[in-house]
Amino acid sequence: MFKLKLKALGHPNPENFNCEDEKEYRSIVLWLEDQKIRHYKIEEREGLRNIDSDSWKEAYDTYQKDLVSPINSGDPNEQLNWLLSYAVRLEYGDNVTKYKDVKVEQPKQATPNVVSSNPLDNLDFTSSAFIAGVDRVCALTGVGPHPDPKFRLSAVAKILKTAPHPDHKGDASIVQQPNDVLKLLFIQDLRELQTKINEALVAVQTVTADPRTDTTLGRVGR
Amino acid sequence: MVVRQYNEELKYLEKVNPHCWKIKKGFQPNMNVEGVFYVNNTLERLMLEELKNSCRPGMTGGFLPGVKQIANVAALPGIVGRSVGLPDIHSGYGFAIGNMAAFDMSNPKSIVSPGGVGFDINCGVRLLRTNLHEKDVQPIKEQLAQSLFDHIPVGVGSKGIIPMNARDMEEALEMGMDWSLREGYVWAEDKEHCEEYGRMLNADPSKVSLRAKKRGLPQLGTLGAGNHYAEIQVVDEIYDKFGAGKMGLERIGQVCVMIHSGSRGFGHQVATDALVQMEKAMKRDQIEVNDRQLACARINSVEGQDYLKAMAAAANFAWVNRSSMTFLTRQAFAKQFKMSPDDLDMHVIYDVSHNIAKMEEHIVDGKIKTLLVHRKGSTRAFPPHHPLIPVDYQLTGQPVLIGGSMGTCSYVLTGTLQGMTETFGSTCHGAGRALSRAKSRRNIDYKEVLEKLESLGISIRVASPKLVMEEAPESYKNVTDVVDTCHAAGISKKTVKLRPIAVIKG
Repeated sequence: MFKLKLKALGHPNPENFNCEDEKEYRSIVLWLEDQKIRHYKIEEREGLRNIDSDSWKEAYDTYQKDLVSPINSGDPNEQLNWLLSYAVRLEYGDNVTKYKDVKVEQPKQATPNVVSSNPLDNLDFTSSAFIAGVDRVCALTGVGPHPDPKFRLSAVAKILKTAPHPDHKGDASIVQQPNDVLKLLFIQDLRELQTKINEALVAVQTVTADPRTDTTLGRVGR
Repeated sequence: MVVRQYNEELKYLEKVNPHCWKIKKGFQPNMNVEGVFYVNNTLERLMLEELKNSCRPGMTGGFLPGVKQIANVAALPGIVGRSVGLPDIHSGYGFAIGNMAAFDMSNPKSIVSPGGVGFDINCGVRLLRTNLHEKDVQPIKEQLAQSLFDHIPVGVGSKGIIPMNARDMEEALEMGMDWSLREGYVWAEDKEHCEEYGRMLNADPSKVSLRAKKRGLPQLGTLGAGNHYAEIQVVDEIYDKFGAGKMGLERIGQVCVMIHSGSRGFGHQVATDALVQMEKAMKRDQIEVNDRQLACARINSVEGQDYLKAMAAAANFAWVNRSSMTFLTRQAFAKQFKMSPDDLDMHVIYDVSHNIAKMEEHIVDGKIKTLLVHRKGSTRAFPPHHPLIPVDYQLTGQPVLIGGSMGTCSYVLTGTLQGMTETFGSTCHGAGRALSRAKSRRNIDYKEVLEKLESLGISIRVASPKLVMEEAPESYKNVTDVVDTCHAAGISKKTVKLRPIAVIKG
């Protein structure tokens, strides 16, 4: 886990890092603060430096609070992930000019000698994996039941093609597509949240609202 | 001010592309950054003519030309990026109206200036949609205009008809639209579709003078005079079907209501009070500016903080004001059509502020920075996927409502990524004056103005007709020129054009 981020940050041993190991976890946090984040002055890092001490956890909690980490009560892996991302962001901020013009290399064709040009040709449409996959996508997009999974898949395709993204520039790259999907899912979550907020507001309004007007206060119409 | 020949002045200006000019350092003394302004051919002529006139010998007094004002703003301490002039720019107090400038919050020398916000704090535009069609409204247009006029208090010295005492006022200043929501004047969805969710959280009513509160209290819920109006409009043209659809504008002829109002005398008093304080602060902190009207204070000074808190309270005042008028508009429509506002689908599409200073995060030279963004006569226009815009507009970008001058058309634009990088997510706010108020009064006859509107088939109700020539379309730039320039320059995108059929004015 975290191989890419560690590599990006120039960690000496990104391949073999095991985040489940408590000791390694602690030393990586210390390494991040010492080398990359540098949020504390050197003498203030003492708490984090005592990797074997029982009070390390406490120091780590305060550290996260000081960094205003949004997930200081989450799973340790999530916490570390945030720290790593934060460090990457700082690293980028320090060397903007260096990284600004970096282009993502086109990923090499994983299988250059494919026999069929269309991978779907080799798909087994009757396999249970395929049917289960279609079921899942249908549940997400709200497509109703139909005995033929292929028919349902074409319905999903129709919805996806007509509905979501207005500004698609046609570069359906390996990075762009999942990115778009994530954005749409995020918007869906956000809409649900906002609807709940609105419902709560309306519920409060039933108690507090009493809109009145009194036309004797001002002059309207002439 | 440096006095040079017009030809000498032109050497400091450079046309970067057909819609954008650069103002180089040295145009005015001590410029920290360059200036920039967006124009098309017509607006460019107006802009340069204004500069030319000011170069004639013996031209003193009055406001400086817009270009000079942009450059003076570029000389303020702590400014980052560029001092930006939008296509509707015209001279104003200190900052030109249509000028945006951002100041780095992490620089202790950075300043906040009331002149960069304007006197009508959080003046803005709100657009309501309906499910009515033009043909439903045309036959009863006159009655509907009268009904709106009978519901919304308008004009100089008008008083609000929503009962409020001093305590309500304090709460409203602190809570903004949340107050209107609590009291039941607006819907929960209205708050969702409002810039800043209708509430500046740093508002502190205790920083507002008693005088401002006394002036503001009776005026809450009134339209005011000047360029403020309420208009019944119909969709005239749709440029971006997807974007318009997300706003619930789906067909030509659909009826909308646009409300353009601000913080009335309250905001004016807050700005006046702050200017007095800031002159003292400038002396103490030795802040040098090119123009006395650019009175300012360091953001972190007591005066700076007090102003920001009072300004936020004035912004909240303006939101409550527009919300109260939304309530009255819905009542007027409900009575006229004998249907509930819900059944008329009278949702707020969006509510924009165009005189405000806000703390925002922007990327400057590749780094995230917290900036204090002054927008005076300029509308925020955030791009798609920006976290501060409502979920419904995440895919289209923030709706930008551009009110035209009286009797001309209005536009709805959306924010773009290019605008975010070039102008800190800002675009134009309206037509922008071409003639001063005094000049309009001298040159134009009010009867002609009213007759002309009538001949265009626009019902009009005016509280003080003798001031109507100040707002005649001839006194303004052509809003279509302004909007087309923003669209062509890429800083926002045209979505819908609206045409008025009835106007209520102060």
